[in-house]
Amino acid sequence: MSDFEFLRHVTIGQFAAQDSPLRRRDSRARLVALICLLVGVTFATHPAGLLLGLLLTLLGLWLGRVPFGFALRGLLPPLPFLLFLAFLQVWINPLPDSNILWQAGPLLLSGADLWAGLGLLVRFSALLLLLTLGTFSMSTMEMTRSLGRLLLPLGRLGLPTQDVTMAMQITLRFLPLLAQTAERIAKAQAARGLDWERGQRNLFERVRQVLPMLTPLFVNSLRRAEQMALAMDSRAYAARPGRSSWVEYHFNGWDAALVLFAFVGATAMIWL
Amino acid sequence: MKPLIELKNVQYGYPGRGGGSSRVALQDVDLQIGEGEWVAVVGANGSGKTTFARLCCGLLLPDAGQVWVAGMNRAETRHRAEIHSRVGMVFQSPEDQLVATTVAEDVAFGLENLQLTPREIGRRVEETLRAVGLWELRDRPPHLLSAGQVQRLALAGVLALRPQAVIFDEATAMLDPQGRHMVQKWMRRLHDRGVTVIAVTHFMDEAALAQRVIVLRGGQIVADGSPAQIFADSQALESWGLELPPAAALAERLRPWLTGLPQHLYTEEALLASLPSFSGHGFREQRSLAQVEASSAGGAAFVARGLQHEYLSGTPFASMALRNANVEVALGEVHGLAGATGSGKSTLLQHLNGLLKPQAGQVLVLGEALHEPGVDWVALRRRVGLVFQNPEVQFFEPYVGDEVAFGPRLAGVSDLRERVRWAMEVVGLDFETFKDRWLMSLSGGEKRRVALASALALQPQALLLDEPTAGLDPHMRRSVLRLLRSLGQEGKTLLLSSHRMEDLAWLCGRLTVFAGGQDVLRGAAGEVFEQVTALRTWGLEPPLAARVAKTLIERGWPLPVGLARPSALAQALHEVLQ
Repeated sequence: MSDFEFLRHVTIGQFAAQDSPLRRRDSRARLVALICLLVGVTFATHPAGLLLGLLLTLLGLWLGRVPFGFALRGLLPPLPFLLFLAFLQVWINPLPDSNILWQAGPLLLSGADLWAGLGLLVRFSALLLLLTLGTFSMSTMEMTRSLGRLLLPLGRLGLPTQDVTMAMQITLRFLPLLAQTAERIAKAQAARGLDWERGQRNLFERVRQVLPMLTPLFVNSLRRAEQMALAMDSRAYAARPGRSSWVEYHFNGWDAALVLFAFVGATAMIWL
Repeated sequence: MKPLIELKNVQYGYPGRGGGSSRVALQDVDLQIGEGEWVAVVGANGSGKTTFARLCCGLLLPDAGQVWVAGMNRAETRHRAEIHSRVGMVFQSPEDQLVATTVAEDVAFGLENLQLTPREIGRRVEETLRAVGLWELRDRPPHLLSAGQVQRLALAGVLALRPQAVIFDEATAMLDPQGRHMVQKWMRRLHDRGVTVIAVTHFMDEAALAQRVIVLRGGQIVADGSPAQIFADSQALESWGLELPPAAALAERLRPWLTGLPQHLYTEEALLASLPSFSGHGFREQRSLAQVEASSAGGAAFVARGLQHEYLSGTPFASMALRNANVEVALGEVHGLAGATGSGKSTLLQHLNGLLKPQAGQVLVLGEALHEPGVDWVALRRRVGLVFQNPEVQFFEPYVGDEVAFGPRLAGVSDLRERVRWAMEVVGLDFETFKDRWLMSLSGGEKRRVALASALALQPQALLLDEPTAGLDPHMRRSVLRLLRSLGQEGKTLLLSSHRMEDLAWLCGRLTVFAGGQDVLRGAAGEVFEQVTALRTWGLEPPLAARVAKTLIERGWPLPVGLARPSALAQALHEVLQ
């Protein structure tokens, strides 16, 4: 692996355009349903609610035809971090509970603690799986477009929803460009004898090397952004109030069912 | 002819720093461009070409005077959308004009801005993408396209709006010969359909294709006429910072011997078509020039054998840049790398100073084996300088002096000031004048010199140069070429890649041609440029002098094979006619 392949770390938008029952639904319905489930899993308090959340997530993965192996592999990198959090949850924040399982001096382990740690693991796993499902079954374009559509009513209140959506789209477009620019600057510095390899070994060195990269990175990005703004301008962006949309949206009964189902599920998770 | 774009006494200035006095970029510009005209706009760097282009397409509003497009005054806001839909603009850096995350969505962008119906947008997206040959790639993200595909996508985004005029703002400056050819073909196609074409360019042969050439100098129009009128006065061209189109320059050079050559030969086709047949009694046997052998006395500077490199290996976006690359450059040699965009030249160069490490194969640099463990990469990079393509975008210090000092300072050079002074003076930048200048305020040619000085400041034994003349105007290009030649004559090993075959023919004794990630041909420059058909299949075009020599031989001239430089061709003609 090369020392300078910054693009490797940009994985957002690794989207597979695969047909599935879920992808046949209106993208707005998918987005709302996803948001419902995310909210549900985040705020579910009772173990039964969390379990329901996990089940609905698995159902979603199945409907989205996301290979389970792929989805579970996505849990591996953050797993040590999650275990650490669960550990903290169990030991640092003892919950008042009479059911004490084990005690040694000030350390004590109660049943409630165990449940809380387990709950944290389940909650975060479900959230990560939902995000995987989201990026797997929805292109960045679909996401920005449907978000723009959903925000449209806010435009009547005078909020610049079109610009917000466009800003989001441009951000996504800019991520790989930013990685590219960073790569070029790092290479230019290394070519003149900056010891880039040493930075790879030592975190402190690494931070020290990244700092001088920031100014040229920003200057370059601003220049590219300016260029892009000119190009957008010359293609008549914002020359007329509002834009039309290439994608036509048809919201049918199934889409409504999807949203309703997710909404009821999320409500159940929270109230259980 | 009905005027499409009218500039009436236009003046434009960029605001000075701190809101102070402004720098006038364009003044007293008064002209009309008619419907269906093909106009080239030429001038040195900083002459106001880009400002002119941006005024014509309504991106800028003049400080004084008026801009009218199709009878609409740009100053009236209600006409803005209409003007942008009628006059499209293709920018120099195509990847910076793509706004969406997939190919098709990018083409749809402008159409949505014009509030067309979904059905019409869909129809035009498909039609345009099919026309530029990108329909199969419609769901790809733009950063995973090749350079040529990005260029075509940028063009598609403009063409989908069905403009009445398309402005190409140095759109070919960074392209390889094939890419330039593609854009020029589109210019011709648009012109044939009655679309007005305005080409801002540094390439005089591109200007010669147009019907009308406008010359800018210091923000003013100094000449406006047909290519024949503009290129008639070579002294005036010189004073404008321009040069004759290569075909005309070569015709002038050969006229003493080819007395029958007609005047006004500005395009390569015209020159090749009017070359005379041989009518003398020269000896008809064909001679071959003495071969230029690599002087192996001093040993090899760079050797690569069976080199492979894959970018983003192990991800879904992996792409093979080098399959089996072999190259050998002797110490003290000036060696050229030719090849289309994406053929692997840049990747190879980055291996030769250790920025990229060999994944498979062998690399020997100044006697050190980079494929073996234990290489001191930093020391290596100090011995082999690398000047990147577009080095201007990689400056990381605000001032010229600091930028040049970056390398030597890290290396702990004791007399830093003297070293910087030396490096700047080698490239022809006066130390006292330039050391405290802002890098951003320099011209394109000056920036290129700073980039060269920054690499030379480490006093490397060898220098790698990636497209050292790309994007420079004719004057600056020549001065950079002369600088490189004098470095070569002083015995520095140079390995350079270029899209300009003329430059390679002029500078290099030997060449290696790359295609598809491997070396496909190597030898003396003259021999390599003999292979016209093969070079074309690799997306390259031999220099004009080589093609003229070949055509003359076909027409009976007893010339030796392997002539690639105008001077050598003239000399050979002289000998034949003696």
